[in-house]
Order: sequence, then C-alpha cells, then structure tokens
Amino acid sequence: MWSIALRTLIADRGKLLTALVGVIFSVVLVNVQGGLFFGLIRKASLLVEHGEADVWVGHRNMHNVDFPRDVPRRWIHRVRAVPGVRRAEAYLVGFADMTLPSGGFEGVVVVGVDRASLLGGAWNVAQGRPEDVLENDAIVLDECENEKLEYPRIGDVRELNHRRARVVAKTNGVMGFLVAPYVFTTYERAGQYLRMPPDRSSYFLVQLEPGADAEAVCADIRRQIPELDAFPKREYGWISVSFWMTRTGLGISFGAATLLGLLVGMIMVAQTLYALVLDRLGEFGTLKAMGARERHVYTILLVQASIMALAGSIAGLALVSGIQRFYSTPQAPIVVPWWLSAGSCLLVLVICLVSSLLPYQRVRKLDPMMVLQS
Amino acid sequence: MIVPRSLKIDSAHAAVRIEGVAKAYRRGASSTAVLDQVSLSIDRGECAFLVGPSGSGKTTLLSILGCILTADRGTVRIFGQETTAMNPARRAALRLAEIGFVFQRFHLIRGLSASANVAVPLALRGVAPKVARRRAVELLEEVGLGDKIDAHPNNLSAGQCQRVALARALAGEPRLILADEPTASLDAANGADVMALLQKLAKKDGRTVIVVTHDARIFSFADRIFRVDSGRATEDASPYDQCSLAKAG
Repeated sequence: MWSIALRTLIADRGKLLTALVGVIFSVVLVNVQGGLFFGLIRKASLLVEHGEADVWVGHRNMHNVDFPRDVPRRWIHRVRAVPGVRRAEAYLVGFADMTLPSGGFEGVVVVGVDRASLLGGAWNVAQGRPEDVLENDAIVLDECENEKLEYPRIGDVRELNHRRARVVAKTNGVMGFLVAPYVFTTYERAGQYLRMPPDRSSYFLVQLEPGADAEAVCADIRRQIPELDAFPKREYGWISVSFWMTRTGLGISFGAATLLGLLVGMIMVAQTLYALVLDRLGEFGTLKAMGARERHVYTILLVQASIMALAGSIAGLALVSGIQRFYSTPQAPIVVPWWLSAGSCLLVLVICLVSSLLPYQRVRKLDPMMVLQS
Repeated sequence: MIVPRSLKIDSAHAAVRIEGVAKAYRRGASSTAVLDQVSLSIDRGECAFLVGPSGSGKTTLLSILGCILTADRGTVRIFGQETTAMNPARRAALRLAEIGFVFQRFHLIRGLSASANVAVPLALRGVAPKVARRRAVELLEEVGLGDKIDAHPNNLSAGQCQRVALARALAGEPRLILADEPTASLDAANGADVMALLQKLAKKDGRTVIVVTHDARIFSFADRIFRVDSGRATEDASPYDQCSLAKAG
C-alpha cells in the first residue's frame, strides 16, 4: 500500500506541488510568526535575561522590568542579610529625554549599575569596553539605535535630561521591547539623569550562594521585608513577558495570524487531496472492485497525507532557516525554539491526516460498480 | 430451444451457480427491472460468454457474479459460497481471494508501472513487495510483455494495456476470472490475441472464465454462451454454431 500511495502521489506532480505549497506555507507561517513573536516578547525580559542576577528584588507587586517603582536603597542591607544571598547590588531603571544634535529629543531608558560589580551592565559590547562606563559622564548606547539617536559616535556628547553624557562604548543588538533605547551608565550618574534622590533604587539584583534555593531565598526576602517582592530570574522574566501579553493582546493577534495560516494550509491540503482523489476515482473504484477494503483505501490516503506533511515540513523548515538567517535583525529578531519547529511539524501532520478524512468520505461512498459502467 | 445445461449440473462441480436472481434499479419512486428469474450454472474450468444487446443486463449479471452488486432476489453461489447474505466486507474479501477482473477500459493505475499494476492484487493481500514484483514480472513475461515491465500505462498501446490488465487479473491466482467487454477497446487482431491469451492462461490452471461481450468475432473462444435479453438468461446455440453464424454474418 505504501508503494502504491507513494507512486501515485509522485505521478501527479502538479497536485503534489500544490499540496506541498500549502504545507510549506503553514510551516513557514507558524515558525516565522512564532519566531517573530518569541523574538519580540523576549525583548520584554531582556534586562532580566542578561542581568546576571539570580533573583530580582523590587517594589511589592512589580510586574515589568522596564516600569519599576522605586524603593528605599537602605533596604539593600536587609536583603544582603538574608541567608543564601552572596551579593546584592542596587539597580536603577527609568525614563529620560536625550537631546539630539538636530535639536530634537528622544525618550530613552536609563539603566544605572553598581560601579564596583557592573552587575546588570551592558553586554554585547561592540565598540569600547564595558568598564569604560566608569569614565566621567560615560554612557553606553546601542549601534542599532543609531538612526533614532542621530548616529552618535564614540566620544560624542549628548544631554540626558539636560545633563552632560558622553558616549564611551556601544553595544550591538541590546534593544528592549519599548521603542525607547537603553542607555547604560553607573548607578550614581543614572540617579542624576533620572533626577532621583540618591537614597532610592529601582531593584536590588541578587546573586546567590552556590547551592542556595532561589525560591526559598525569595520567600525569605518577602517575609523579612513585606514591602518588597522577590522573584527568581526566570520567573521575573516571565512576569515581564506576561505583562505585555495580557495587556496588549499581542499573543492573541500573533496567535490569530498563525491560526489563520494553519487554516489556509489545511484547506489547501484538504482541497488538493480531494482533487487528487476526484481525479483518481476510477482507480479507487478499480481497487475496491478488486477487493480493496476500507483500511486499504484509508492507508493510501493516510500515507499520501503523511508524505505531504513530511516533505512539506522539511522544505518549510529549510525555508524558515533561510528566512531566519537573512531577515532576523536585532530590531525584529526571529527566534524559533526547537519545540516550536517540532510542534509545527506535528501540527501540520495532524492537519494533513485530518484533511485526508474528507476525500476518504468520498472514496468510502464510491460504488465499485462504476468501474464496470464506464 | 436448448435446455440450460446448468440445471443439470451437480453443484459440487459448479464454479458459479445462480438461481432465480432478480435485480431492479430504483430511482426515486420508479423502479426498472434489469434481471428477472435468471438461473445458470457454470462449471469449474469453463469459459462462458454472456452476450446480448446493450442494456440487456449483462454487466449487471457480471457485477452480481463478481460480488460487486447484490441481487434483490434469488441465490448466488460462488464456489459453493452463498454471497447474497454477505456483508460488503466479506464480499470484498471473496473478490480479493477468488475473483480476477478484466475491465473494458483496462483501469490500470496511471502512476504505477506495468509490474506495479500487476502486483496490486498481491499488495492488497499483504504479499511482500519483492515477492509480488517477482510474480508480476513472471506474469508479464507470460503475456508477452517481458520488455515492458517498467513501462507506464501512458507508454503502452491499448493491446498491451489489456495484457497488463489480464496479468493483473491472474496475479492473485483467482479461481474465477470475470472479463467485461475485454476486446471492446481493441482492434480485431489485438482482441483475438488477448482472448487467446486469456483462454490459454485460464485453461492452464483450470480457472473459470466468464466474459461479457457483444463482439461476435470472439465467440469461438467460448465453451458456452448465455444470451441475456429482457432480463432473462438462456443458454444459446453451441459456440461453434455461434461462430459460424458470426462469420456468415
């Protein structure tokens, strides 16, 4: 049956190609849409992911890394006193305006890090060095924000909330979910740019003792300082992502587009399988006249549907890989996790198998008598 | 009028025995009777022809004998098995095990080579592909298509297609071969060749052959001829006489 299914499918190359286009379309759409979604949503937790902290501590009910509420800095000593905490450093995140050479302004997110440890500081530094941020008035920008910030060069001077700032280094691809570029500097200088009193802080970034349980440490911090919340890195990253997912309907819109793609693919596969069967009703009639049973007929259709799913998935994933290679940018990263690729292939296989039910119904009702009447 | 020999034959030797078979086609409230009180019996190893004008019910009778259609009334026994009470799955199993078909328009599967087409009944029986191919090649050689094993139906002539169809009908080693107008799509020479081949291969293994035809040129291949007309089947003059009549005509 496998051989009959495969050979008859290959014999009708035109229809096979149409079905493959449908499957490829579905696989590419799911993976690229999903990849764009994950790439975009990952930006929402960028600071958390790259912050090198095991635990994030901030105001009670904190829900987004980019929108903190400040807390008294002196509480850092109480956090440091919690068993399992190896290091805790203050961290500032806030909004400021950068003055541009043209006379315009651009809103930026200022990130202030501890001078001694540079914990939560800039990464992917492409020009200059991370420690250059310790120089006077030093700030670190991202290359990908050049256009917005009117092409600043190393050594150029700008103003942040009317205070002098000098570009000393540049990162590559450090772009957050917000349209405002990240500007990394030291904690003290960030406080000046943000006009924040020196006794306030946005977060405390905590690194744990080896073997310490992050959940237990977070629970201890919450118990000892009820005004604070504490989350392990992964959990706070997810909280930041959820903020955008639930408040913007982003997940729904991406999901709807993906679902639509799947639906179109499914219709194309079903229609093609149906057309293939309609074209070959006489052959199915012949098989039934010769004594083929329901399972024979369905095996042929299942094998054909599976071949379409498999071949289309392989071609689709190859195309996704090409698209990812050539079109993924820091502005619109396409991040395709392995489970998304595997899941989409599985989904497409299920869709193809379900699609084969439609032509199967047609063949099931086929009267083998037709062979003798033609 | 010749007395139908079938009624005299011991059913133990009968490949096919039908009695009092009636069939009508219904469309909405109206009903058209096609067969009415048809009785006949065909021995094992015989080659019987069902002849008659278009619309006389020959193909309907062949379909009933082939377990594709069921009779409204009467009994149908194929190698002793009563088929009218069988469910569709059992009838399909009987077709696969005991009956080989040769169709007027060959009905070969386009995407398959000649050998793959011949191997289809074996594939349906679950025979291993290598064994099925070996058997298919043997049969194609027997029907004179040893050099067309990998040819596709598109690249074969009508006569060659019917030979492939004949090999396919024999592949499952059925005891009964039903042929529906096997020469209708062929010229006289090819038609005679195919019939000679069918007779030779069927006789060799003692298979029973039933042919529906109105092609008088091939009547000489029949052991017995049944004339189907107005819903009835009667055994006609001896094949020799029919052949003479056809030649004279």
